[in-house]
Amino acid sequence: MEFSRAFQSSCILFCFGFLTACGGGSPMVTDTLIYGRGGDANALDPIHTDIGESVKVIVNIFEPLVAYDDETLDLVPGVAESWETSDDGKEWTFKLRPNVKFHDGTPLNAEAVVFTFERILDPDHPHVHNNIIPYYSSYTQIEKVEAVDDLTVKFTLKQPQATFLANIAMFPSGIVSPTAVKKHGADFTRHPVGSGPFQFVHWKPKQEIVLSRFDDYWGEPAGVERVVFLPSEESSIRVTQLKRAEIHIADNLPPSEVDGLEKTPGVVVQSTPGINIGYLTMQTQKPPLDKPEVRQAICYAIDRDRLIEVAYAGHAQKAKTMVPPTLWGHSDDVPGREVDQEKAKQLLEEASKKYGFSLPLKLELFVMDQPRPYMQQPRQTAIFIKDALEKVGFQIEIITNDIGQHFQRMTRGEHQLGLSGWSADIADPHNFLHTLLHSDNINEIGGNNLSQYKNEEVDKLLDAAQFELDQEKRTQLYKQAQQLIFEDAPVLPLVHVPVRIAQRDFVKGYKLHPSSQVRLKAARMAEQ
Amino acid sequence: MLVRRLGQAVVTMLIAVLAIFVAVRALPANPVIAQFGQHAVPEKIEKEMEERGWNKPLWQQAIAFAGQMAQGNLGESFARPGEKISTRLSQAVPATLELTFAAMLIAIPLGVVVGTIAALWRNSWPDWISMAIALLGVSIPVFFLAICLIAAFPAMPTGSRLPPGTIHDLHTEFYFFESLLTGKFQLAALSARHLVLPSIALSTIPLAVVSRVTRNSMLEVFDADYLRTARAKGASLLRVIVRHAFPNASLSVLNIVGFQLGMLLSGAILTETVFNWPGLGRYVVDAIRDYDYSVVQACALVLAGIFVTLNLTLDVLFLVFDPRLREASRS
Repeated sequence: MEFSRAFQSSCILFCFGFLTACGGGSPMVTDTLIYGRGGDANALDPIHTDIGESVKVIVNIFEPLVAYDDETLDLVPGVAESWETSDDGKEWTFKLRPNVKFHDGTPLNAEAVVFTFERILDPDHPHVHNNIIPYYSSYTQIEKVEAVDDLTVKFTLKQPQATFLANIAMFPSGIVSPTAVKKHGADFTRHPVGSGPFQFVHWKPKQEIVLSRFDDYWGEPAGVERVVFLPSEESSIRVTQLKRAEIHIADNLPPSEVDGLEKTPGVVVQSTPGINIGYLTMQTQKPPLDKPEVRQAICYAIDRDRLIEVAYAGHAQKAKTMVPPTLWGHSDDVPGREVDQEKAKQLLEEASKKYGFSLPLKLELFVMDQPRPYMQQPRQTAIFIKDALEKVGFQIEIITNDIGQHFQRMTRGEHQLGLSGWSADIADPHNFLHTLLHSDNINEIGGNNLSQYKNEEVDKLLDAAQFELDQEKRTQLYKQAQQLIFEDAPVLPLVHVPVRIAQRDFVKGYKLHPSSQVRLKAARMAEQ
Repeated sequence: MLVRRLGQAVVTMLIAVLAIFVAVRALPANPVIAQFGQHAVPEKIEKEMEERGWNKPLWQQAIAFAGQMAQGNLGESFARPGEKISTRLSQAVPATLELTFAAMLIAIPLGVVVGTIAALWRNSWPDWISMAIALLGVSIPVFFLAICLIAAFPAMPTGSRLPPGTIHDLHTEFYFFESLLTGKFQLAALSARHLVLPSIALSTIPLAVVSRVTRNSMLEVFDADYLRTARAKGASLLRVIVRHAFPNASLSVLNIVGFQLGMLLSGAILTETVFNWPGLGRYVVDAIRDYDYSVVQACALVLAGIFVTLNLTLDVLFLVFDPRLREASRS
């Protein structure tokens, strides 16, 4: 058996050989910031997307007329250096910054701005190649956009609109290069050209999106030469990659992972209160949840402090109303319902006698199958709520659907209870209260008033606040609305969830923005 | 015989695509609404449904789809507006092919060697060890294995096909093959490095299966009379294994390799996800998640095509390798 021994050892050698043969150094790329995230973009044309992973890239390539301040939610000049409003609030005139260029060299002038807005508003625009324009309704108050001269643009609104400025500061109205749009046609979404601090280099689907510094940027140029957006879907892998400095920033990690990274040398964690709300919607148009007593009983039954411990690892803020406290217009006067199971039981029993239904009261709870920023562990949240409600006399059946189906079924009002939430598009209470609770937003196709809540008084207050331009007065209107909503309890506001990221300590200058926009302009790589 | 198999293959593909066509449309959610996320615009949604013909009865849509396929046009992605499916496939398929190739490069030789060793030392420790490893290979969750591998080889890249941000001038997405063939050895080495961990993770199941099948078929022939004769006439052990035993055992190995190849080519979703590998598996799964009708249909067609081609190739190979079949088809 001499041969066989040699054979045996050569086999073993073969195995080890393969494993070790593939070593060798990888070239260290410097001045490249690698941003690890949980998924890929779907479109880079600002008007055609609704998903966060696209927006992260878009806000670094495109700039709107008006921008958020670097550190606050205040609106400051973007490519428009100043603006004025007519007395009736219907005409807005913007003066553009001179000498602003797109990445392809085209000058950013009034014509480009008009072109950008016509792409959103004109249903038959020759340079728009599909109908997916998710933020369309944010711009429908605009009646026309005209170029007054080369650097002056005038917007005429159908009605005065309090949120107009905030709307045009949103990413979908980032100014696009008309030359590039015409040149690339439907492919513009894969060859985006804007005027932002970074220009597009390439996009390999499911692999990476690469941007590079735009040297002719009108403002302070970007702090790094290149940015790579890496879709690393598994959060545990992102953690490993960050620990090994293969990526420099990791976002969208489960709270417990972030806690672990906080203790890792060389890694720092940043946190900002998110402008969002995770809430429980209750279908107010169908029995038994059309009875306020039943809805109130549900609110009293759920211990949200414990929920935050169980489903958010302690990293969330208990919600008082639908408007986050970091936003103006939040009402701190709403009393809120602290957990009181006795009271919940009592309310439910009284209701069962009054309306004649038997206990335990059967309800369905709709849950999405994947985490959202405002609902990081939907399944745990649902189980917690089920347990809490079953202690006071309900019987809950959890119905899990995939995310698309979950929201579609709830907009059709098929749920009784459902987990939902909202991340702000604009820093304005209108975006929470009107969008989620105005009766105009009850619609089978995508209406966001999932509870199908109808209260004429609330509607009136929200309408008034929409057309009022004075922020003091608007605040009062929103506070009144929040009080009424609290009493009716069409929703149970659960939590406001902070945005947390982990990054290497040698990435300097990057600050999480309170709007949760990922603006990488100021980031730079310190000497390692 | 081949002609008949070819006919069967075409029918198989037709049925597969028809089944998928109906199945994606049976999904309860509306794909256009899903595209708008939480910002649906009813009038835009209606317009889009109309322009895509999704308001029409199913049979009309099916005819339109068949017409489009007949022209060899796979169409455009719906969830990624304007993206040609053929373009994406030309990126995803090479990624999957290279990964599969690397995994098979590990699995087949190693599996055959391990299986042979196990057969030679049957019922003693080399046999037990290799079969225990084989059992582990099939039963360990790929996901877990991948994470262990990443932890065990801290110097190896954790994912992607090349280091992030690499700019290169390759024309195809066959990063490894093309850079090797065009003499860009540094790039080839980089892409090989990135292949190591994912291909090891992917190779365990075929490795385990191949080694078990090799062991069993070797055991079958080891006891055969002709082998005893070969030994008796003085042939060395190596010659006996390579020249006499293996050719007979190879048929069942070939069969199982073909099957495993089909599994790997249809996209190793877990491996691709963990290692951020932009392959076919992730493409299909994303398309299903996004209700991307057109992509799901096109991919079903491609996958059916892969399986059918593989089966046909196997049939031909059997004709080459198996003298009995050769004789039968001749007569």
